Amino acid sequence: MSARLDSVAALEALRGRLAGQRDADARMITVCGGTACTAFMYPKVLVEIRAELQRRGMERAIPVKVVGCPGFCSAGPIVIVHPARVFYPRVREEDVPRIIEKTVLGDETIEELLYVDPATGRRVVHDTEVPFYAKQTRAVLGLSGVITPTDLEDYIDHDGYAGAAKALSSMSPQQVIDEVRESGLRGRGGAGFPTGVKWDYCRKSPGSQKFLICNADEGDPGAFMDRSVLEGTPHAVVEGMIIAAYAIGASRGVIYVRAEYPLAVRNSHIVLDDLRTAGLLGENILGTSFSFDVEVREGAGAFVCGEETALIASLEGRRGMPRPRPPFPAQSGYQGKPTVINNVETLATVPLIVRKGREWFRSIGTEGSKGTKIFALAGKVNTTGLVEVPMGATLRQIVFDIGGGIPRNRQFKAAQMGGPSGGCVTAQNLDLPIDYESVKKVGAIMGSGGMIVMDETTCMVDVARYFLEFTQKESCGKCVPCRIGTRHMLDILTRICAGEGRPGDIEELEAIGTAVKSTSLCGLGQTAPNPVLSTIRQFRHEYEEHIIQKRCRAAVCEALVEAPCLHACPAGVHAPSYVAHLAEGRPEEAARTVRLRNPFVSVCGRVCDAPCERRCRRGEVDEPIAIRALKRYAADLDGRGSAPLVAPPSGRRDVAVIGAGPAGLSCAYFLALLGRPSVVFEALPVAGGMLAVGIPEYRLPRQSLQADIDFILAHGVELRMATRVSSLDALRAQGFTMVFLASGAHRNRPLRIPGEGLPGVIGSLEFLRRRALGEAVACTGSVAVIGGGNAAVDAARSAIRLGAKTVTVVYRRTRGEMPAFEEEIEAALEEGVRLVELAAPVGITGSDGGVDGLGLVRMRLGEADERGRRQPVPIDGSDFVFPCDMVITAIGQVPSLDAVDGALETSKLGGARVDVLTGATAVPGLFAGGDCVSAGGSVIEAVAAGQKAAIAIDRSLGGAGLLPPGAVQSLWRPSEEQLERTAARAREPVLPAATRAASFVEVQGALTGEAACGEASRCMRCDLERAASRAQARTLAAAREAARTAGTAAQGAR
Amino acid sequence: MAGTPSVAADRVLLSIDGREVTAKPGTTILQAAQAAGIRIPHLCHEPRLKPSGACRLCLVEIQGQPGFHASCARPVERGMVVSTSSEPVRSLRKTVLEMLVSEHVMSCSTCDRDGECLLQDYAYEHGIDEKRFPSIAPAAAASGVPNYTSESLAISYDPSKCIRCQRCVRICEEVQGVEALTLTSRGGDVLVSTGFQRPLQETACEMCGQCIGTCPTAALHEKAARGKGKPKDLARVRTTCPYCGVGCQIELNVNRRVNRIVRVTGRIGSTPNNGLLCVKGRFGMDFVARADRLTTPLLRENGSFRKASWGEALEYTATRLREIRGESGADALAGLASAKTTNEDNYVMQKLVRAAFGTNNVDHCARLCHASTVAGLAMAFGSGAMTNSIADLRDAPVIFVIGSNTTECHPVIGTTIRQSVASGRTRLIVADPRRISLAGIAELHLRHRPGTDVALLNGMMHVILQEGLEDRQFIDTRTEGFEELRAAVEKCPPESAAAITGVPADDIRRAARLYASAESAAIVYSMGITQHTTGTDNVLSLANLAMVTGNVGRPCSGVDPLRGQNNVQGACDMGALPNVYSGYQRVDDRGVRGKFEAAWNVPLPDTPGLTVVEMMNAAEAGRIRAIYIMGENPVLSDPDIAHVRKALEAVDFLVVQDVFMSETAELADVVLPAFSFAEKDGTFTNTERRVQRVRRAVRPPGDARDDWRILCEVSTRMGYPMSYPDSAAIMEEISALTSIYGGIAHDRLDGTGIQWPCPTPTHPGTPILHRESFTRGRGRFHAVQFLPPRELPDEEYPLLLTTGRVLQHWHTGTMTRRCEVLNALVPGGTLELNPADAQALAVSSGETAVVRSRRGRIEIPVAVTERVDRGTVFLAFHFREHPANALTISALDPVAKIPEFKACAVRVEKREASRP
Repeated sequence: MSARLDSVAALEALRGRLAGQRDADARMITVCGGTACTAFMYPKVLVEIRAELQRRGMERAIPVKVVGCPGFCSAGPIVIVHPARVFYPRVREEDVPRIIEKTVLGDETIEELLYVDPATGRRVVHDTEVPFYAKQTRAVLGLSGVITPTDLEDYIDHDGYAGAAKALSSMSPQQVIDEVRESGLRGRGGAGFPTGVKWDYCRKSPGSQKFLICNADEGDPGAFMDRSVLEGTPHAVVEGMIIAAYAIGASRGVIYVRAEYPLAVRNSHIVLDDLRTAGLLGENILGTSFSFDVEVREGAGAFVCGEETALIASLEGRRGMPRPRPPFPAQSGYQGKPTVINNVETLATVPLIVRKGREWFRSIGTEGSKGTKIFALAGKVNTTGLVEVPMGATLRQIVFDIGGGIPRNRQFKAAQMGGPSGGCVTAQNLDLPIDYESVKKVGAIMGSGGMIVMDETTCMVDVARYFLEFTQKESCGKCVPCRIGTRHMLDILTRICAGEGRPGDIEELEAIGTAVKSTSLCGLGQTAPNPVLSTIRQFRHEYEEHIIQKRCRAAVCEALVEAPCLHACPAGVHAPSYVAHLAEGRPEEAARTVRLRNPFVSVCGRVCDAPCERRCRRGEVDEPIAIRALKRYAADLDGRGSAPLVAPPSGRRDVAVIGAGPAGLSCAYFLALLGRPSVVFEALPVAGGMLAVGIPEYRLPRQSLQADIDFILAHGVELRMATRVSSLDALRAQGFTMVFLASGAHRNRPLRIPGEGLPGVIGSLEFLRRRALGEAVACTGSVAVIGGGNAAVDAARSAIRLGAKTVTVVYRRTRGEMPAFEEEIEAALEEGVRLVELAAPVGITGSDGGVDGLGLVRMRLGEADERGRRQPVPIDGSDFVFPCDMVITAIGQVPSLDAVDGALETSKLGGARVDVLTGATAVPGLFAGGDCVSAGGSVIEAVAAGQKAAIAIDRSLGGAGLLPPGAVQSLWRPSEEQLERTAARAREPVLPAATRAASFVEVQGALTGEAACGEASRCMRCDLERAASRAQARTLAAAREAARTAGTAAQGAR
Repeated sequence: MAGTPSVAADRVLLSIDGREVTAKPGTTILQAAQAAGIRIPHLCHEPRLKPSGACRLCLVEIQGQPGFHASCARPVERGMVVSTSSEPVRSLRKTVLEMLVSEHVMSCSTCDRDGECLLQDYAYEHGIDEKRFPSIAPAAAASGVPNYTSESLAISYDPSKCIRCQRCVRICEEVQGVEALTLTSRGGDVLVSTGFQRPLQETACEMCGQCIGTCPTAALHEKAARGKGKPKDLARVRTTCPYCGVGCQIELNVNRRVNRIVRVTGRIGSTPNNGLLCVKGRFGMDFVARADRLTTPLLRENGSFRKASWGEALEYTATRLREIRGESGADALAGLASAKTTNEDNYVMQKLVRAAFGTNNVDHCARLCHASTVAGLAMAFGSGAMTNSIADLRDAPVIFVIGSNTTECHPVIGTTIRQSVASGRTRLIVADPRRISLAGIAELHLRHRPGTDVALLNGMMHVILQEGLEDRQFIDTRTEGFEELRAAVEKCPPESAAAITGVPADDIRRAARLYASAESAAIVYSMGITQHTTGTDNVLSLANLAMVTGNVGRPCSGVDPLRGQNNVQGACDMGALPNVYSGYQRVDDRGVRGKFEAAWNVPLPDTPGLTVVEMMNAAEAGRIRAIYIMGENPVLSDPDIAHVRKALEAVDFLVVQDVFMSETAELADVVLPAFSFAEKDGTFTNTERRVQRVRRAVRPPGDARDDWRILCEVSTRMGYPMSYPDSAAIMEEISALTSIYGGIAHDRLDGTGIQWPCPTPTHPGTPILHRESFTRGRGRFHAVQFLPPRELPDEEYPLLLTTGRVLQHWHTGTMTRRCEVLNALVPGGTLELNPADAQALAVSSGETAVVRSRRGRIEIPVAVTERVDRGTVFLAFHFREHPANALTISALDPVAKIPEFKACAVRVEKREASRP
């Protein structure tokens, strides 16, 4: 900058000159110089670019510009080649010569360096087409990534200081205040107080000396909006300060920025110095009568100093502690003078409003919340970074459209909004338009815009504990509730996460949390309990699981989790051990290990939904271990001949089991392991329950099922086939003191539409059962299957095999929402099954002779339900008829509770209500589990229910309920080399689609021995790591307990 | 609104718990409730501190305003409807208390404050569940981890009892202005500590113990008092502090079983100190119970003392005094009264000398501190005492402190000044050769050379008159002699004042403008002004300055000499001076003398007697043959002590009546054991003329007797019978004969005491003198010319010595050096030496220097410091090991006969390490 800008005209003249020099078609390279890219070592790339240009003698011809953070932080270092705007993410030094050679000089794009959209897998050439950018509305961030942050001329060339010039030269302070107030701008720091109102209040406070403070003490974990704005467009912040100071009548301003933001501090200093030289700060700015200067003050990184009265105390050289309000800073602030404190983003928005006018700003956003908002998107989301969207954008747009969704297609669980003061917004509010009011309504706050995405691998108790640990550490300690109350809450949460939770803990957390909220002095304490209260409200069951079942469903809480796979298995099968046995080539040991917790080794090797694999830590590296396939391999090799684990117990059979499905047989099996003989009553002529009559043989061959049943029976279990239990009393009369009810769910849920009673309409369960029992099932012509679960797909694939001409699955949502296993759907489609999405049945037409059509209505996806699945909504007038000859319904199962005949309380789905830990019902001596409780669950859940009930029954009868140890431990560990190797997951052989559609032969083959051994060797044995840390944790806990006991004793003695 | 009771325009009407309450705007809900008798529990708030809102116990509900509000911080508003004990409030309050209790080890049965602990009270009242929350009391407490008080003898901090209300931190910052304490850590780990957790004595801490005084639990306590008695075992006796002239009201907490003062407390709301104490007041009372107290009369026999009965000692004393009077006349006898004893003692002493001895040879150490004040202010105003009250300093727009190291010598007044400066109400000018603590918070520090005060003040007045800043109306209507003053100060422009004083002329101008432009401005001074050969001139100059700007007779203005000792004002008031009877009634006034002769029923001498230094000279010359000394130690306190010692050795008969065997008592022929202040009943009069009660707290040791009773016995045995049933009866006689004490009687003094003049039994006392007119009618300007100190540095003695006090010690140390805490804090003196001088002399801190003057030499460790200017050195005079007064000069102010303690020439040398 050569001369002082002593008038608005001089500023405009400079702008004109700069515009004249600009050449939009010139070649140029921009490199992001933000903090994240610094962490990614962008300076090395920059040096290499300059060196390469120099080598080619092009250093003068092609300018290289370091720009501010454009927000796409996960893609750094970012290089963009102009004028074509070719976008290269994650650039390494060694890529530079190629980029310069081909793209800069040769106008070619380098395909393999381009950005790949994770959603579509497509390569994207230009930054403007990257979904992350394309779906944002960038106003405040508009110049981030475009200009060099500290370059005043660059900023002026992009309309910089036009807003300040306009305010100072043509508006009165009151007009500025009116403009900002009418624009609807609300404070972006968190509380959303109307900015113009605050200014007006301060302007009208008596006193000649007033202060303007820019609050850049952003401290929420995961939030970095203010940092990026101050780093990337510091001039916009200062311009906002000039306008604000002019409006309120302040002659001094302070940027209070935390010292941990060195780049923001440095850039602020640079621009302030430049502005003084340029006459845009100091005496008589732009030749007007307005004088204003700004100093930078560094905070020491206390979260509480974001609170305005604590910030003021810190500025005044005192310990950063808040004081009661009123008086508000606008009345009595810094040095006792009226003071406005605005957040960085707010101030950076102000120049835009003044320059473009209130109407422009009002046109963006919702009724109560105008303009755009920047969010710092972090956590379990594919693309992290800064996202600017209009107020009213939905969480789904931010997380899925812009952020690219959740890695590994895991389930979205919640987003923590507003940092540690906020709360979590759950899946059911994915489609909520986000603004100050709506977010508050669902129990979170806008806060400064931190947004941390959480998925099923996030433990909500641990999240609450983490945030509370943060606020407790950051509490200034001044007021009692914040200092002590949060400490007690943290102690309770820490205990819960350590598996030491006690009944009543949740209620105590709620009580303390409420008290802390109502009684704390400042915002920090008043909001500190929010994450806890919010997660208790939304995820109370997770708390209960931790406290009662000592179970962390996300497999996060170390003290509760030995290995995530083991923890994820409802039956507690020790996957790490049996995988290790296979790695060492001992399939018998492997099978034996599985059977210690699950007798259905052959079954589960084939049809288990394998929750273990979803949690497998190897999956974080490349792909999860194929645990199910390994189980099958072990089962198949071990075969039918394996010896029982224990000798059949003797004595009175005083336990009756109703139903020989996986739950019932498991219960009998585990009772045998506990030394109690039992009798299993089965109404059908075959054993296995749904395994025998629900799952088609092409998935689960009969002999495989029979092998598992034979193994169970070898433990002395007595099975009475085709014996229907008429009543509990009948059993009691036979001397059975304990009964386990596992009668399944064998009827389909009715559609409740006209025509459901026509011949040719059949429930999927009846359809599959008849086929399994060898009855004739006519299946010709065109078949429609209604539903999207595994039963629907099983029915469809069976129908194909039974000769149907066409089979069509009709589902009211889209394939993405179908609950059936993805690979089953895929297989069905390969076999010729068709899928009609977004259609729901409204009636079945036909006559006594049969069905001739299915009336459908088109659906669209509306808002999310409580699990985050978008709910289908009928489209009016879109009805149509789908011609067909047979309709199979598969929209859910109805539990069979005939044996107890209304004696039990039931859940919403019609299942028996039981204690989650024991399976005990309200009727003494009666336990229940499996589908008759869950109305349709997985096999392994049924096994787990049988296991739990067996233990509880044993205890009721005076036993200890102690099963043998859950694993034949193997201490095998992968070698360093094995760990390093990124091997693809082993895949089981599959019959070709054409072959398999013609018969019920098993579709899936077994792994070869070599493949199994290789696959098993991919296991990282994280259980052994955790075992070590658990041992350590136990030692620590013991020491703590000892200290506490000693402390109490000492207290008592005092 | 119909039915609303009428409320004064400046009051706010609100409703608290359904009751209509009025309050001044700006008061808090808590204050309004307390005034209405509605109790709201609170722990972090106390009236001396700004609202903090930390403890959250005082939360209330306000109709129409959601949530809960801290009533300690919330100002009242018109029409507010407040509920202080709704169910939600009570329930939350209980939870907050339960939280607090979890942080605090409830070991009440072994706690020093059991029964005097707010937390205990509230816990009991709210029926809290101690077990609701597991204890999070810091483990540091149990395992004895050292904290910032571990090495302190005075203060102990027990984190396990601390509830982090921060009252200690805030009182240290807001009230004491020291900021020694702070909070450390964050969240649940917060503890009180010092910056960087340094030991307390390495911080700016002044050991005032204000932190202890405000602590609502036993977290902070006097270390020595631990385990010495719980509140229920302690009698709290309110009395007046025996140290400086501030006259702080203290409570001696006495364990009657063992007859020991266990701790000293202040009471919030007390006048003048509002519960504040200094290190001496709080930790300086163990001298009372020292084993070396005098317990029996001693007679010198063959050069050493032997114990004697009271009968023998008194008879011998009376006989010797009678004999000498018979041989050499009454004027061969003299008495020294004491600024440490009560008004009643002093009255009886001067009566003994005048009525029984028959001479006016009575004086006391006021001569050494404020004689020039008494003389100068009497000349200018008509009476020589502090014109205004200490409380005025709280609101004075400008305070000009000159020649007073207030924070060390009058600590609680120093604290008051600090508070008013910190509050932003007051702008401070300090004139002092040393960079004293107040200089650090002053807007202007004028560092003038010792003894150049007149030049400085004349320079300021020159500016005032030149710039028209004087108060014409006041000068015209209230004063006389202005033209003389104008003529004198015209000769002293700031530039010439600068040349004399060493203060830049611009600073003199700024000071003049600041002082003269203030709405009202107070002058505070002390011995830096008075202890000069020009002491009276200095005082007159200050009077000139005040009058020329109209700063007399109004609140927050005035001329405020800070009197040194606890009862120096009273001793003067009682006539323990050679020229006046009680109430400054002149002995050479026939009418006055007639009144006293009639009352005392004896003819009285009509010529003024000798002053202290004159007495010593006369003793050395043999004209004075017997001296009776009550509670003074001239061998250490007087200038040129070699000379004093010689004089006392020269007299034929020396009686010393004291509590300890002082340096002076060692020379005596008879030593009589007296009561300490803690054993006495009577009154002290503080520096603001406030007559306050002294009350007996402990039983005296051995055969010690009350001073006035001993004096009465001697008098009676000398043939002039004196007896009083108690000290109240003495005060009755005083008030009958003394108009300024006319309305004062012991039973009127129980509240805040009374400031004289108080002529009648219903008169409320006089906080501000000279309101309508000066005591002498019109105020009198005096033209004063600058004169240099008597002895100035020269080649032989190149440095200027000035003397003074340190915070932790008192006078000649007879009391403070017997107090464990005080003596440990400052075990000896040091010579303050500017770094430049130190370099020139090649000495550094801690090394021993030899200091010589024309009168003597001492050896003392050196402290190199910027506190003194180049060419000036400083010594405190408390220490017998290196007595400053071995060096000082006995040159006297010609009017007030006060010696020039504050300036003499000395030579400093490094002591050679190897001496035989």
